[in-house]
Amino acid sequence: MSPELFDVLAAAGKIAFFWAVVLVAYLPNVVWAERRIAGLIQDRPGPNRVGPFGLFQSLADVPKMFLKEDVTPLFVDKLLHTVAPTIILVPALTTIAIVPFGSSLTIAGREIPLVIADVNIGFLYLLALTSISVYGIVIGAWASNNKYSLLGGLRASAQVISYELSMGLAAIGVFVSAGSFRPVAIVEWQAAHVWNCVPQALGCIIFIVSAFAETNRIPFDLAEAESELVGGYHTEFSAFKFGMFFMSEYANMFAAAAMIVTLYFGGWSLPFLAVTGNAGGLLSIAVFLAKVFVWVFVFIWVRWTLPRFRYDQLMALGWKVLLPLSVLNLLVVAWVVARGPGAP
Amino acid sequence: MTGATFVFALASGLAIVFALLMVVQKAPVKSVLALVVTFFGLAVLSVQLAAPFIAAIQIIVYAGAILVLFLFVIMLLNLTEEAREKDTRPIQRWLGLVSAVALAGLLLGVTLRAPPAPVLRPGDGPRIPAGDEIPLLGRLLFSDYLFAFEAMSVLLLAAAVGALILSKRRME
Repeated sequence: MSPELFDVLAAAGKIAFFWAVVLVAYLPNVVWAERRIAGLIQDRPGPNRVGPFGLFQSLADVPKMFLKEDVTPLFVDKLLHTVAPTIILVPALTTIAIVPFGSSLTIAGREIPLVIADVNIGFLYLLALTSISVYGIVIGAWASNNKYSLLGGLRASAQVISYELSMGLAAIGVFVSAGSFRPVAIVEWQAAHVWNCVPQALGCIIFIVSAFAETNRIPFDLAEAESELVGGYHTEFSAFKFGMFFMSEYANMFAAAAMIVTLYFGGWSLPFLAVTGNAGGLLSIAVFLAKVFVWVFVFIWVRWTLPRFRYDQLMALGWKVLLPLSVLNLLVVAWVVARGPGAP
Repeated sequence: MTGATFVFALASGLAIVFALLMVVQKAPVKSVLALVVTFFGLAVLSVQLAAPFIAAIQIIVYAGAILVLFLFVIMLLNLTEEAREKDTRPIQRWLGLVSAVALAGLLLGVTLRAPPAPVLRPGDGPRIPAGDEIPLLGRLLFSDYLFAFEAMSVLLLAAAVGALILSKRRME
């Protein structure tokens, strides 16, 4: 087999693996997990009728979503109403392309790094994609031609701009200490030194809070806010178009969890444990996925524990607390790196 | 047609078509969305010029922040369709046309007079080693272009303060 063909097959294999994990293993089960955990927290059983422990509930829900009548109201902007769900789903499913999900595997005498694309701009690609994912919400909201949807879109756009800044500034602290934008280099730095959540605890907290805001989850789900805006930006969407908005929320959660794990919790690495060879490679995949699922659990846990912010509280937190703190964090990290050994 | 020229034609074609759509479109929201597609086309061109950093910054800053802000303002004011204003000052139309032609001529002249780009042959390595672009850019910004860089930040600060004063005055 020629080396080029091998590379193409390896890349295709990695993409297939990741999408299988996200679309087949993660998405249906996380919806089930969210409803069961919600039940647990609220002291009720949750869905437990379809299959053992209600595990097949999602298998029943997905065909329902496919088969329902797709209602396109007469007053909507047809073109934008149709493309909005796609626009929100594409960034949600492509962000993971640059996240290293394991160390490496050796197949047929060749080492395959376990990352789909190891690009130099690395996390900038990720920040770019997360910053455009808001277009799905805003376009859907505007195309719906409904005042509640419009309010939801308005809130989403202001919220994303406000929290994106602190998110990016917090992440720059990690880039400065690792000396690279490449997620692979950031994970290797953490494996060699210490997980970033320890020396950069402040940046870590800012990043996590902003990630909650970017994924539009409670306590930051003001774009949806069903108690005041009916369904917010997706009020006028039904059947599978609604399903795509619904899926994108969970795909975004996965992407956000993967970002948190890669930047601050050592990615696929595990301290005090060095297994080499293919066993180590497989173990690193398991470690990475386990860490991501822990963070997905935290997302669910927070959703069913905290109430929703009021809009002015949301803006005050973003601009008056997180932004100054993230600038402070960056200054401190830059100062330490500039004085430390190996400084330029 | 090689893959690279195809991507170039597609990206620049999209950028031009959507830039035109941006101007022609009556609904301001759709104008902004057309501009988003234009910026994506430009970002693809930056990637082809081996400047992925510029491409990423273009998407993060322009498509991801500035245009979202535009959308926010348009939706806040709930502008649905531009009212067709009566032309009370036809001279501005002509001035606009003249300045557009002048700008196009200027750009064309600069492009034609530019020294020919060095021809790269297969096997030539990139002129800046991959991975070094961002440190290089940073060093240039804080050494050779320090004055321009700092002047720009003062300008932005002045604009922000100005906007604040204007909005305060209206409230009083």
